[in-house]
Amino acid sequence: GRGRCVTRLKAAVHYTVGCLCEEVEEDKDVQFSKQSIAAISDITFRQCEIFAKDLEMFARHAKRTTVTTEDVKLLARRSNSLLKYITQKSEELASNNMEQKEKKKKKSSTAKGERTPGEQEAAGVQSLHLLK
Amino acid sequence: SQKEPREPQVPRSLIKEIFRHFAKMPMTRDAFKIVEKCSERYFQQLSNDLEAYTHHAGRKTVEAADLEVLMRRQGLVTDKMPLNVLIERYLPLEYRKLLIPVAVSGNKVIPRKIMFFF
Repeated sequence: GRGRCVTRLKAAVHYTVGCLCEEVEEDKDVQFSKQSIAAISDITFRQCEIFAKDLEMFARHAKRTTVTTEDVKLLARRSNSLLKYITQKSEELASNNMEQKEKKKKKSSTAKGERTPGEQEAAGVQSLHLLK
Repeated sequence: SQKEPREPQVPRSLIKEIFRHFAKMPMTRDAFKIVEKCSERYFQQLSNDLEAYTHHAGRKTVEAADLEVLMRRQGLVTDKMPLNVLIERYLPLEYRKLLIPVAVSGNKVIPRKIMFFF
């Protein structure tokens, strides 16, 4: 059911947040209490709901049904530093994609341009990274 | 010497009136100066955002849809609070007539499309 799906998603977010917090703990020499990690993962989960709604709205506004990096950039417009970071990362992604496409072309002409599923996920992961 | 042309801005008296209407308490002169500065910044931010949203939709003219996206991002328009309700609540009748489509005789709807020019 849907409830179970949400619980599993929350658990996955909690796990990742825990890993990120551990990294910060080592880096900054501080400790996170269990409650603060739980709070951060709860905040992240809710923030994702807001992100998803806004991205959907931006894509629909541009008369698209697929969320693109342009929508993600629009999402990050509120903070200048975040926008800079996201723009830089999306440029990196774009150039990586180009390289991969060229490799594919060289390898064979049979496989037609499939979209890399990593693009949107990567953008999501980056925003998660920023939340730490 | 010639005076430099002043930047267009919302009249002070109007800002004061609106702010007093909602604050419902006396305000010091300094506080009002800050409010004035804030509203200036608000319009700067607003026009930047509208530009981004309009460009995003591949247009050069700001349309009502851009304003709605903006107001959703501001948290003013939500699923429970549609734009039309806000218009009905806060705008005087003559503006309401311009913004909310009304079906008239002959199966015509006016206005057909709302545009904002800057």
